[in-house]
Amino acid sequence: MRSDVRSWSMLPLVLAIGFAGAAAAHHSTAEFDYTKQVTINGTVKEVQWTNPHSYIQLLTDGEGGERIQWSVEIGSPSLNINLGWRKNSVKVGDVVTMNLSPARNGKPYGTLRVLTFADGQKLEGVAARVTGPLGGPPPAAAPAAPKEP
Amino acid sequence: MRRLHRWGLVLCVAALCACASGPVDKASTAARGPERLLGIWVPDAAPRALLMADGKPPPLTAEASKLYAERRQRLAAGDASFDPTTWCAGPGMPRILTMPYPLEIRADGNRLAFIHGWYRWFRIVDLSVGAVDPPLPLTMGFPVGHWESDTLAIRTVGLIDATVMDASGLPHSEQLTLTERLRVLPNGRLEDRITIDDPENFTRPWETVLTFHRDAAARVADDVCPDRMARGEPAEQLPGQTKAPRTTSAAPRAAAVAAGTAAAASRLAGVWEPKTFGFMVPNAPLSGAGQDIVTRNAAAMQRGSIMQTAWTSCRPGAVSTMTMPREKIVILESASEVTILFEMPRMVRRIRMNGSHAQQLEPGYVGDSVGHWEGSTLVVDTLGFNGYAELDARGQPTSPQLHTVERFTPSGDGSSIDIETTITDPEYYTQPFVIKRSWKKSPARHPLEYDCMENPRQEDFENAYYVRERYRPICMRVEGEGMAPSKMVCPRPE
Repeated sequence: MRSDVRSWSMLPLVLAIGFAGAAAAHHSTAEFDYTKQVTINGTVKEVQWTNPHSYIQLLTDGEGGERIQWSVEIGSPSLNINLGWRKNSVKVGDVVTMNLSPARNGKPYGTLRVLTFADGQKLEGVAARVTGPLGGPPPAAAPAAPKEP
Repeated sequence: MRRLHRWGLVLCVAALCACASGPVDKASTAARGPERLLGIWVPDAAPRALLMADGKPPPLTAEASKLYAERRQRLAAGDASFDPTTWCAGPGMPRILTMPYPLEIRADGNRLAFIHGWYRWFRIVDLSVGAVDPPLPLTMGFPVGHWESDTLAIRTVGLIDATVMDASGLPHSEQLTLTERLRVLPNGRLEDRITIDDPENFTRPWETVLTFHRDAAARVADDVCPDRMARGEPAEQLPGQTKAPRTTSAAPRAAAVAAGTAAAASRLAGVWEPKTFGFMVPNAPLSGAGQDIVTRNAAAMQRGSIMQTAWTSCRPGAVSTMTMPREKIVILESASEVTILFEMPRMVRRIRMNGSHAQQLEPGYVGDSVGHWEGSTLVVDTLGFNGYAELDARGQPTSPQLHTVERFTPSGDGSSIDIETTITDPEYYTQPFVIKRSWKKSPARHPLEYDCMENPRQEDFENAYYVRERYRPICMRVEGEGMAPSKMVCPRPE
């Protein structure tokens, strides 16, 4: 397994997110650069199904063969349920690919957009739904607001 | 192991003795039927280790026994980090019933609320017919109850396995089903007889018994665990460590049983959810001092810092629920009190009906609220805030001079509530201003949970800007290198 670090440094994609101005005032959105995407793959070391945010710790191999541990935020349990997750959707030892918006600090840290299992099944993260103005009506499936504090 | 069992046995025997010889509370015996359960109860003996009703240890499976022994060894060495309460996260069930804090049982229609004295936790017992299908496990689960004469029977499923069943680390799985039978004994004490069924951890279902008594002086406080830890106190205050938690309001409250008496006609009772999410209070008339703070906050955000407010540091004030409604609320009405239980942020607001504010109020996060009806509108006046609350995600400040007046107006068909809040705070705003929010009826039988302290990740605090020094974290989860697991670190305050 190798993390696709090329996408981290060479292929930043600009997302069309609709909360740009207001988002700057929100602590979680300040942490991540939603204008970029990174794709990594590796083995799940730990799943923290917790508030205020859940996390997946993913062990990947760097280009030099070194092991890199990524921390990937996947939203709060109640938000994730609305996105189709269950507590045991992802298990320790699963081999997965994760497309994420990276942290601004350059560390192996990001917020999930899409997780893809080895068999091609996908789970969506909150970052993939970051659209709509803050304070607007929540959509049926997931809140339009980026994250709770 | 033997010493631990002996300790638990002593506590249980003490509890039984207290039951047998304790004074009969006149108030608790005055009411009949289900009403007898309502009001405030104090644990007789908050056991550190649950035992079976006959005093024997629980029938653990071999694997669970090994895990329990390992935890007891860690506990003996001073490491209780298997218990989420040590970093102020949710105790879960039945752990919260073993904590030495008062609890209050309130009722309205087909719903009961158990409001606990430890860090704003509550659970809603739904009395309508039909099983529940939990969408996700919660620390307090999804309790459903019914009355059998004077006994309240509660069945709880959907309990998350991240909690422990007692302070000694008794394990459970998500297969756990709790069946409680609560009744008031002839001596006036409340008995909770709990059957624990968890085939993953126990060889057979087993029963434990907890008892509670009335205490006219006891109150369920607005307890804020991280504040206590910041003062160097333990997350769970045991008897003798400090004085027992009491109410933060200086105003008198109605007698315990009367507080549970049903209102003549519940107009707001039920489960509600916000019509819109709001993170911003636009166009607030900031004073110079208020503008300075907002400008400072914005500059920190521009630098890329993560802003930490009372909301994000798990100490939200009541005003934030007025301006930033999130997730479900449960409202219970009685003749003397309207109680609002918030899922996110977790909070209990109490509105004393037809009362007045005391001359001297002890400042707190939720303030002191009094209410009255003007036609079909509930008017709530709140003073006594502590100034540790921000109005929105920009960190618009509040001071202890904050004064709010909310007008709750239900729609004619009962499907929604419009809430108009007038905010006055001469320290930071040049004039009063009004914000409007709306709630709609929720079909949910239970609110979900927001356990804000569950996972304070190190990353959230590495580049933080603290709006107030009080908002610094008490505990952080630090990731382990390689295959080493993450762990929670709670440095003692200097």
